[in-house]
Amino acid sequence: MDWLNLIVFPILRTVVLFLVLLTGFAYLTWFERKLLARFHVRYGPNRAGKFGLLQPVADAVKAMFKEEIVPSHVDKPIYLVAPALALIPALIIWAVIPVAKDTPAIADVGIGFLWILAVAGLESYGLILAGWSSNNNYSLLGALRSSAQMISYELPLGLFLVSILILAGSFSLVELVDNPRAWWEWLWLWVAFPFFFICILAETNRSPFDLPETENELVAGYQTEYGGIKFSLFYMAEYINMITTSAIMATLFFGGWRGPFAEEIVWLGPVYLFIKVVVLLFLFVWVRASISRPRYDQLMRFGWKFLLPVGIVYMAITAVLAVLLK
Amino acid sequence: MSPLNVSPKRREYEVLPSLNVPGIPAVAPLPTGETEDTRRIVERFGQDILAAGLHNGLQTVIVKPERLVELAQFIKDEPKLAYETIIDVSSVDRLELPIPEGEPRFQTVYQFRSYRRKQHLMVISPTQGDDEHPRAPSLTPVFRGATWPEREVYDLMGITFDGHPDLRRILMPAHWPYHPLQKQIPLGGEEVPFSLTWDDPEFETLGTQILPAESVKPTLPPGMNRRHMIINMGPHHPSTHGVLRLVVELDGERVIKVDPDLGYLHSGFEKTGEHKRYKDFVYYTDRMDYLSAMNNNLGYVLTVEAMLGVEIPERAQVIRVIMGELQRIASHLLWLATHALDVSGTGMSLLMYATRERELILDLFELVCGARLTTSYIRIGGVWRDVPDIFLDRVRHFIQTFPGRLAEYEAMLTESPVWRERLEGIGVISREDALNMGLTGPMLRGSGVDWDLRRDMPYSGYENYDFVVPVSQRGDSYGRYLVRMEEMRQSVRILEQAVANLPDGPYKTNDRKVALPPRPELDLSMEALIHHFKLVTEGIHVPPGMYYHGIEASKGELGFFIYSDGSGRPYRLHVRGPSFNNLYALDHMCQGAMLSDVVTNIGSVDIVLGEVDR
Repeated sequence: MDWLNLIVFPILRTVVLFLVLLTGFAYLTWFERKLLARFHVRYGPNRAGKFGLLQPVADAVKAMFKEEIVPSHVDKPIYLVAPALALIPALIIWAVIPVAKDTPAIADVGIGFLWILAVAGLESYGLILAGWSSNNNYSLLGALRSSAQMISYELPLGLFLVSILILAGSFSLVELVDNPRAWWEWLWLWVAFPFFFICILAETNRSPFDLPETENELVAGYQTEYGGIKFSLFYMAEYINMITTSAIMATLFFGGWRGPFAEEIVWLGPVYLFIKVVVLLFLFVWVRASISRPRYDQLMRFGWKFLLPVGIVYMAITAVLAVLLK
Repeated sequence: MSPLNVSPKRREYEVLPSLNVPGIPAVAPLPTGETEDTRRIVERFGQDILAAGLHNGLQTVIVKPERLVELAQFIKDEPKLAYETIIDVSSVDRLELPIPEGEPRFQTVYQFRSYRRKQHLMVISPTQGDDEHPRAPSLTPVFRGATWPEREVYDLMGITFDGHPDLRRILMPAHWPYHPLQKQIPLGGEEVPFSLTWDDPEFETLGTQILPAESVKPTLPPGMNRRHMIINMGPHHPSTHGVLRLVVELDGERVIKVDPDLGYLHSGFEKTGEHKRYKDFVYYTDRMDYLSAMNNNLGYVLTVEAMLGVEIPERAQVIRVIMGELQRIASHLLWLATHALDVSGTGMSLLMYATRERELILDLFELVCGARLTTSYIRIGGVWRDVPDIFLDRVRHFIQTFPGRLAEYEAMLTESPVWRERLEGIGVISREDALNMGLTGPMLRGSGVDWDLRRDMPYSGYENYDFVVPVSQRGDSYGRYLVRMEEMRQSVRILEQAVANLPDGPYKTNDRKVALPPRPELDLSMEALIHHFKLVTEGIHVPPGMYYHGIEASKGELGFFIYSDGSGRPYRLHVRGPSFNNLYALDHMCQGAMLSDVVTNIGSVDIVLGEVDR
C-alpha cells in the first residue's frame, strides 16, 4: 500500500492542517482583539455570538463579499499574485514541525532547519512584490522597509537557529524534540529566547516592528492598494505567520509537543503544543499593547549593531560549549 | 467667472431700520495719551506716526505704510522696546464705515509682544495703492512668523504684501475668484427653506452651489522638485489629525521640504461672525478648536467684556478658571493619546487610558451644561448657569484620582528608551526661531521662553493662583512633551485652589445691558422686561473701537481681534488660532528629518484643524 502512504495520507494531513490553521487564524484575530481590548480597558467584540465568538465568521463573510477592486495604475499580474505569495510560505513552513511523538505535521524531511530558513526567506517576496506592483508611493516605501527589515533580521535569526542546530546535532526538527537535552542546554537555550523572539517579531512584521505597514506614516504600507479578500490574504499571512513562528519557538525552545505523559498518550502531544503556542501568542499581543514602535533607522541600527553581534557571540559560545560538554 | 449665486431671498428682520441707533456705524476713535513705548516710537518716527497712545487700554500706534517695516525692525532691535515676536496680522475693510474722504479703505493690524518686558503693542497701518488693489509692505524680512498670517490676509482680504516670499492663497482654493472678507462680498450660503411644500419657490435655490466645483490639476508647491519622491500626506491620512494635507518632498526617507496645504475645513468663522450678534458668536467659537471649547468661549467672551468694560462677579471668574483648566487637561490628554498613537502604533494602550480620563472631564462638562464637546458654557457677562451642587464633589474626585493616573502614563512613556529615542532631538526649534516664528503656548515654552499669559498678563483672576509655568530648554519634541505633562499637573494644582476657594454669589453680571435679568424679575419689573426684550432682539451694543485680547489656551495663545462700529454685531472679527501659527513651524521642524518624524512633529505641534482653517 505504498501509494496510500505516499499520496493519500499526506493529502489528508495537509487538508487537516490547513483547516486547523485557517480556523486558528480566524480565532487568533478574535483572541487578539479580545486581549487587546482588555489591555485597553475596552470590551472588544461582543456582539456576534457569545463573547463575540462569531465575529471572525462575520469578518470573513464581509471580506469575501466585498467588491473586487483592482486599481487601474497597478501592475496587474504581480498585484494579483502577491497576496498568495505572502500566504503560501506561512502555510508550508508547518510541514516539518512535529506535533506529537515521532509525528511531523506533514513530513520528516531531515533538513527541517534549512526548510524553515528557506521558506522564511521567501516570505518577504509577497510583501515586496505587493508594494512594488501597487505603484503607490506609500506601498513602495512599505515594501522597501519590509525588504530591508526582513533581510536584516533574518541574519541574527539564522545565527540563533544555527546555534540551536549545533546543540541539537541534527537538521531534523522531529529528532530535535525527541532527543533528550541536558539541563545546561535548556538554560543556555532560554538565554537566547528573548533575542530570538525579537527577531521573530521583526520577521512577522508584528508591532512594534510593523514598520512596513505603519498606519500612522504609510497609511497601510504595502497593502494600501489592496481590499476585500486580497487584503484578507495578507492579513491571513500575518496571523498564520504568528501561529507558525510560535509553533517553531515552542518546538525549538520549549520542547514542542512534550509534556507530562505525552510520550505514552500520543494525542496529548498536539494539546501541549497548542497550549504552548497560545502562551506565545499571548506574548505577541502583550508586546503589541505595551511597547511603542521604533523609527525605521533605529530598527535597522538595533538589528545590525546589537542583535547581529549578540547572535555571533552566542553562536561562538554555543560552539565552544558543544565541543566541551557534549 | 459667474457672479455669486446668492439666493435671492433675504430675511428682512435683521436690517429693520428702527433697530439701528443713530450714529452707527462709527469709526474707532484714535488712540489717546501716551506710554513709555509709544513715546519712544513717536520720537523716532515723528510725523510718520499718524497717531499713538492707548486705545481700549492697548498701546496702539498708527503708522504710515512706508515706514512700517522700519518700525517693526526698530521695535524689535531697540533694547528698551524689545518686541521680540509678532503675534498676529489681521486687517480691516472699512468700506461700510464713515471714514474721511481720501483715507484708504483697508488697514492692516499687527500685534507685537515683548515677552521680556511683558508689553503688548498694536500697530495699525493704512494700505498703499488704490482701494481695488491694496498693497502693504511685508513684515516677513523682520519676523518669519508673519508669513502665514500675511498669506491669510492676502487670501481673505485681498491685500497684496510686497516682498512676501510666498504669497499664495492659504485657506481658499487657489482658483477662488474673490477675497471673502471684503465687505462687498456677500455672506453667501443658502437660505434654509421654512416651507413645508416642495412647490414653494423657497426650494428653487436649494442645493445649488455658490461656485461650480471644478476639479483642478494639482500643482507642485514652489520650491519642490519632481526629481525626488513627492508624497501627498492627507487630507485623509491617519495621523494628520483631521483634513490637513502635507505635500512632502522625500529623498529616500529623508524629508527635504514640507508644504502644508490648509483650508479643507475652512468654515468662514470670521465672515460669519460679522453677521452675528455678539452673544450669538459664542456658539461658533466652540467649533473652532473643538477640543477646547471652554477656552475658546473664554477668549472671545473676555475680548467683548473688555470692550464693554463689564465687571464679572468673583464666582463666575472662579468657575471660568475651573472650566478652563479642566478643558486644558482634557485637551492635553487627547494630545497625549494621539501623540502616543502616532509615534507608537495602534496597539499602544495609552490612547484608551488617556481617553478614559478625558471622559471624566467631559462628564463634568455634561453635568454643568448638558454638552460634552461644544459646551458654549461661558457667556458674555458670566457663565450660562450656576454649577450644580454635586459638581464640586465630582471635581474633587477627579483631582484625587487624576495625578495617580498621570503618573502611570509617565511611567509608560517618559523614561521609556524607545519613546525617548523617537522624540529626543526631533523637531528642534531654537529659542530665537521660536520667537521669530511667533510660536506660542507649549511650543514656545518647550524652546525655553518662560512665558504664560495666565501668569504674565493675568485674566479671570489667574493672578490669585499659585502655579509654576513649566519650561524646557531642550526645544525638541521631548521637551514639549515634558512641558505638556507638567502643565497637566499644574492645572490640577490650580483646580485644587479654585475648588477650595469658590466663593458664593452671582454667576453672571448684574449689568442689565449685558446679561439677561433673572426670570422671576420679568413678572414684576417692567424695566427687566424691556432689558430682556432689547437683549434678546438687538443683543449687546459694544462701543466703537478695536481690541485684541489673548488667552493661554491649551495649544497656545488664542487671540480675538474685534473692530466694533457701535452696533450689535462685530464689524470685523478676527481669530488668532494658536494651531495655525504653530503649524507654520512644521516645515522648519521637518528639515532633514525622516518620514516618521513628520508624524511625530505634527503630534508635537498639537493642532486642531477646525482652528487652523477656521
